[in-house]
Amino acid sequence: MLEIKDLRAEVGGKEILKGINLTINSGEIHAVMGPNGAGKSTLSYVLSGRHGYEVTGGSVMYDGQNLLDMDPDVRACSGIFLAFQYPVEIPGVASATFLKTALNAQRKFRGEEELDAMQFLKLVREKTKELDIKDDMLKRAVNVGFSGGEKKRNEVLQMALLEPKLMLLDETDSGLDIDALKVAAEGVNRLRSPERSALIITHYQRLLDYIVPDFVHVLADGKIVKSGDKSLALELEEKGYAEISAA
Amino acid sequence: MKSLSALAQNYIDRFETALETLPGQSSRSISELRKAGLEKFAVQDFPNKRVEEWRFTNLSSMTKDVANEDGAGVSALTPSLFETDYEIVFIDGLFSEEQSKLDGLPNGLSISSFVDALENGAVFSLNSEEERSLIALNTAFMQDGFCIHVGEKTKIDGIVGIKFKNSGAIKNGAHLRNRITLDTGAALTLIELHEGDGSYFSNPVSHISIGEGARLDHYKLQNESVSAYHLALTDVEVQKQGIYKNFSFSVGGKISRNELKTVILGSDAESHLDGAYLMRGDQHCDTTTLTEHKVPKNISNQTYKGVLDDKAHGVFQGKIHIAPDAQQVAGDQLSKALLLSDYAAVDCKPELEIYADDVKCSHGATSGELDDDALFYLQARGIPELEARKILIEAFLGDVLLSIDNEKVREYFSTRSAHWLKQS
Repeated sequence: MLEIKDLRAEVGGKEILKGINLTINSGEIHAVMGPNGAGKSTLSYVLSGRHGYEVTGGSVMYDGQNLLDMDPDVRACSGIFLAFQYPVEIPGVASATFLKTALNAQRKFRGEEELDAMQFLKLVREKTKELDIKDDMLKRAVNVGFSGGEKKRNEVLQMALLEPKLMLLDETDSGLDIDALKVAAEGVNRLRSPERSALIITHYQRLLDYIVPDFVHVLADGKIVKSGDKSLALELEEKGYAEISAA
Repeated sequence: MKSLSALAQNYIDRFETALETLPGQSSRSISELRKAGLEKFAVQDFPNKRVEEWRFTNLSSMTKDVANEDGAGVSALTPSLFETDYEIVFIDGLFSEEQSKLDGLPNGLSISSFVDALENGAVFSLNSEEERSLIALNTAFMQDGFCIHVGEKTKIDGIVGIKFKNSGAIKNGAHLRNRITLDTGAALTLIELHEGDGSYFSNPVSHISIGEGARLDHYKLQNESVSAYHLALTDVEVQKQGIYKNFSFSVGGKISRNELKTVILGSDAESHLDGAYLMRGDQHCDTTTLTEHKVPKNISNQTYKGVLDDKAHGVFQGKIHIAPDAQQVAGDQLSKALLLSDYAAVDCKPELEIYADDVKCSHGATSGELDDDALFYLQARGIPELEARKILIEAFLGDVLLSIDNEKVREYFSTRSAHWLKQS
């Protein structure tokens, strides 16, 4: 599904990613762990197409297409979903309007009929119920005045609604208490299927207790220095990054 | 003596001839008023950058654009889409009885043209202290306009529309003189719609008087041609417990200026001046307000939001003046501008002049670009960049448009802003 080869990228003239190689097949869940400044968030932004993150080398193929040629909205419509570490507050835009616009943009892209207000409401109510999210969140402006937990829940709701093929979770666990973490993890687990993959970027092992990965990679100084199964995460937790990176 | 601008000289040279066709020539007092206006104007000239209040708005291009000969109208005038209940229409600055809709006015509401009002003995005047040369010019050349009167305790349902349509046939001026009077306890909602094609100069001067406990909801669409000059001056007096609410929505004009002066003369009175302007190309839009609190215990507020693209230029100058005895007054002022291009600019000059010590005032001015983080967030959910930008611009304008009480007008202005966005 996703094939990253020798990916190099810089931000503001500074090289952050220094040759990443990573292949994610359908149905697989990969975790990328690493210390602060290793390039974890940069990787998620490069994959989702954020301006200012300049790819200087390597390639990323997604479903047989050159991902790096696509605009951010096209990547999203093609099934890539970035759950933000810091979801953005957008005053003046109601959550419901935002969700409907996003969903219909994606449906339109795929040549499907757009949902009308009633169809949309029915669908979104199903999802909020499943995820135990209060409906009143939909009336509020996107993320404005949301607590950290609410913001992350909102990300999970969007993910449930948009049903992506590849989920990129950028430090979804940061700033979450254990209950919120469980809700977020459950949301991701619900979406697990043989056709759907995930790349979970995290600093701590904690999230991986709830979303169990198939593979764990250690990212240090812009490169993947070690890969293994879920036991690698536990080892990291025990020994710390310094020892593993040096090994 | 300093020499006058060519444009001012052009007006002065034409005055004697113009007098023969301007209304009220049989009335000596009107002729004298016009002459007094011209004399004042001849001393003051058109405002230029040396005048503090005009630092940011340069009228020098007017000479070549509007001093030339009148021509044929540029195109047939398209009717405005906004439906009103009663309507007075002006074509190229002259009242059109044919197009107006003034039958069956409710009791207590009278609407007449300036010319009719003059014939019925209405008195117009020019303050000898008047320093605004455009008011002096208007006084010399005023050719038509409207007079609206709402009688005591009369609350008018529905909306009164005033439509100004300009074909570009008359270049050097639609000098309209308007008056709105609300007696004690009266209430009225009205909307001015200024539209046109081609190059011309529109110079409406309005005097509004809000009686005790009266309320005026005053809306304005400024959708003049992008080659036109729209320089409007509105003076408002509000008596105790009176409410004046003004919302101006501006998308047109090459150079436009909306100058509002509100004088609050009674306690428990309110003045709300709000607006939105959307400009592109090399359009220039100036909002200049002066709110004077003369007595204690009243409130005023102002919120203006502008969206500027290409090389468009916005100006906001707002002054709140609080007299020494005007205690317990609240005055708030906010100007926000969204700059969509590196070449767009806005000048803001908020001023508080406070001589009382027990007041609550605030002012703020911001300008900035679209939020990159928000833009990316929307795109990362599949919304194309252009649409994402529109969503964010609409969100920026959202709260000021929500301050419009009249639902029909709110929808109309929202539609107009969506229409503007579609063109980008």
